[in-house]
Amino acid sequence: MLLLNDIEVDSVTKRFEDMVAVDNLSMSVAKGELFGLLGPNGAGKSTLTKMISGMLNLTSGTIKVGKYSIQDDPMKVKEILGVVPQDIVLYDYLNAQENLAFYGRLYGLPGRKLKNRIKELLQFTQLDEKAVKRHVSTYSGGMKRRVNIAAALLHEPQVMLLDEPTAGLDPQNKHALWEIIQSLKKQRKTIVLTTHMMDEAEELCNRVAIMDHGKIIALGSPSQLVRKIKMENTITVVPDKTSSKLVEIMKSVAGVKDSYLAYDENEKTETLKVITDNPDDILPDVVSAIAKDGTKVLSVQLSRVTLEDVFIMLTGRSLRE
Amino acid sequence: MKITRALNQVAAIAKTDFLGVLRNKAAIFFTLLFPLFFIVIIGFTFGQSGTEDMSRISIGVVNLDGELVAVNATDSFNSTIGDLFVQALETVNFTVHGYGEYGDRDTNGTAAYAISRGDIDAVVVIPANFTETLSFQYTNNLGAPVPTKAHLELYVDPSDTTGSLIVQQSVFGFISGFVKEYQEIAIEQAPPDTQDYLQVLTDPLTVSISEADVTGNDLKWIDYMVPGTLGLVLLWSGLNHASMTIATERTKGTFQRMVIAPVSPMVVLVGKLISALALVYLSAFIMLLSGVLLFQVNLYWNIPVILLAIFLGALSAIGIGLIISSLAKNEEAANSIAVIISVPLQFFIGAFFPLSIMPAAAQAFGEALPFTKLVNAMQDIMTRNLAFDAVVPEILYLAVSGLILFLVGTIAYRISLKRL
Repeated sequence: MLLLNDIEVDSVTKRFEDMVAVDNLSMSVAKGELFGLLGPNGAGKSTLTKMISGMLNLTSGTIKVGKYSIQDDPMKVKEILGVVPQDIVLYDYLNAQENLAFYGRLYGLPGRKLKNRIKELLQFTQLDEKAVKRHVSTYSGGMKRRVNIAAALLHEPQVMLLDEPTAGLDPQNKHALWEIIQSLKKQRKTIVLTTHMMDEAEELCNRVAIMDHGKIIALGSPSQLVRKIKMENTITVVPDKTSSKLVEIMKSVAGVKDSYLAYDENEKTETLKVITDNPDDILPDVVSAIAKDGTKVLSVQLSRVTLEDVFIMLTGRSLRE
Repeated sequence: MKITRALNQVAAIAKTDFLGVLRNKAAIFFTLLFPLFFIVIIGFTFGQSGTEDMSRISIGVVNLDGELVAVNATDSFNSTIGDLFVQALETVNFTVHGYGEYGDRDTNGTAAYAISRGDIDAVVVIPANFTETLSFQYTNNLGAPVPTKAHLELYVDPSDTTGSLIVQQSVFGFISGFVKEYQEIAIEQAPPDTQDYLQVLTDPLTVSISEADVTGNDLKWIDYMVPGTLGLVLLWSGLNHASMTIATERTKGTFQRMVIAPVSPMVVLVGKLISALALVYLSAFIMLLSGVLLFQVNLYWNIPVILLAIFLGALSAIGIGLIISSLAKNEEAANSIAVIISVPLQFFIGAFFPLSIMPAAAQAFGEALPFTKLVNAMQDIMTRNLAFDAVVPEILYLAVSGLILFLVGTIAYRISLKRL
């Protein structure tokens, strides 16, 4: 039988005494899909991923990874699952090779195969050959994160759980890790990515589930979720002079849904608002139409609706609260 | 195939755990070198005790015996017995320094000056009439000897309470021997018809104190200490390491990563056990080797029984460590609990002090500890050269307590898996 989903969570509940961490939750992740789990602290994301990886028992419900049930065949699930924890979980007194060799032996990789696999992964994660011979305690945050991911890839898992893999990284290292995740996606691995970062979810995920109070409150592709809420993208222009004629000119630009003048209390200046679905595409036309009118553009600002806006709309809180 | 894989996993876990100690300077000190540090300090402090070496005691002697003294209205300055006394002090190997007078603490060159500055440990002042008294020169009007006692003055250093007691006992022991020699000579020189009478009168009771031959070897104090320190090895290398290992891995998250790999929790436990046992044996080896190399300890080496006893004792230590490690919230808490337990226990296992000097309740507590049984067994085997039969009760006690404590530790470990 051909399996369409690599992860199936069915009516799962997890209780810690009186507290319900995950509340009758169901979801599925398709083969080769990169699935994002978004939610504030305490939403139940970590509890859900811990149950999928077999670290926590379920209070009720079922979870299947591949064709195996986590309750009935936990060892089989662990064989096909690779987990990248949020924290750097490495032995700091070992070097990268020794760490990878240790985890490889836990997954039963034999000597020569393990050696070759470590070599491959060090290349894949772009780790410098000399640096990997130093103890992990001497590595930068980015290097540690890459070894952390390599350790989860040793046994070539089909399904991966990535728990905030770029937390605390500078933009350069973050983008380097995004490239690694993108290439895993190209290898058709099924990935569940837990993240706080909206840009990360928007950039990488095919689908996103927003969790709050142990439940999924929204599910869909990032663009579907943005469309679900009735907010619009806005181009805000500060011209050297405003007039009703300028508003009419804007309304005549293709792709513009509406335009109006608004007074900015903070800047104490009159601004021109342009409402559109595609701010990036029509921005050059908007600017040239204003210029043709003989008006100078002092500044332009794009206000795009993001997953953050979706999240705030749905939960009334920001992601970091 | 499954067994090969499990063995490979056990080996990987044990190796990584062991490297964690070898590559951590603080861990090396506390788990491997702390017991060694102990034995070196103790060895150099007391290691030679038990031999007849008195040379470390410095005695200042103010011998006034040759000075002029009036005896029966006649001037005398005989110093024969006083000189013999000083010679005898040197013969038994005290380090003797002569002074002209006792003096005072501020006058350089006097005995009081030297003792006040710690240059000597005690001062013996021999009176001017020492020879005259002991040779019966004081007589009554009829020419019969008047019984007169010679009076020695002994000054010790009150600022060193323990040291002065030891010096005092040593000098008293010497004086007692000197008096006995003197009495024998005095009796020999008495008229034949009074010799038996004098012998009973001067020496009505004799007590002979000897040490029984318990080892076949001439033992120093350090020889008794070394087997006792194996108990410390269990506490420092076994209990302390086992109490930290899982707590540290849980705090760092590496334990959780092991749990999400296809590894049985029992495989993890066996890996940790092997690593802890390796540390205990390594620490014991370092300890015994340093005893041999640094202090030339004179012991018997029944290796199979020593290895067996250490293994069984280590099960208890590791079991207690596992309980601590599993129940503690984090590595700091585990470390604190381990120190609170292991430090006081050191004093109840008979490694430093004999349990017999402790109150009854403390003795009962100490006797109940498996580590005390190990110390007793090791002293029987290594110092008394007894056969295995003699330590069977201790070995059985170690086996039963080891299995119980390790079982409880395993249960605590399994419970801890539920709160990852």
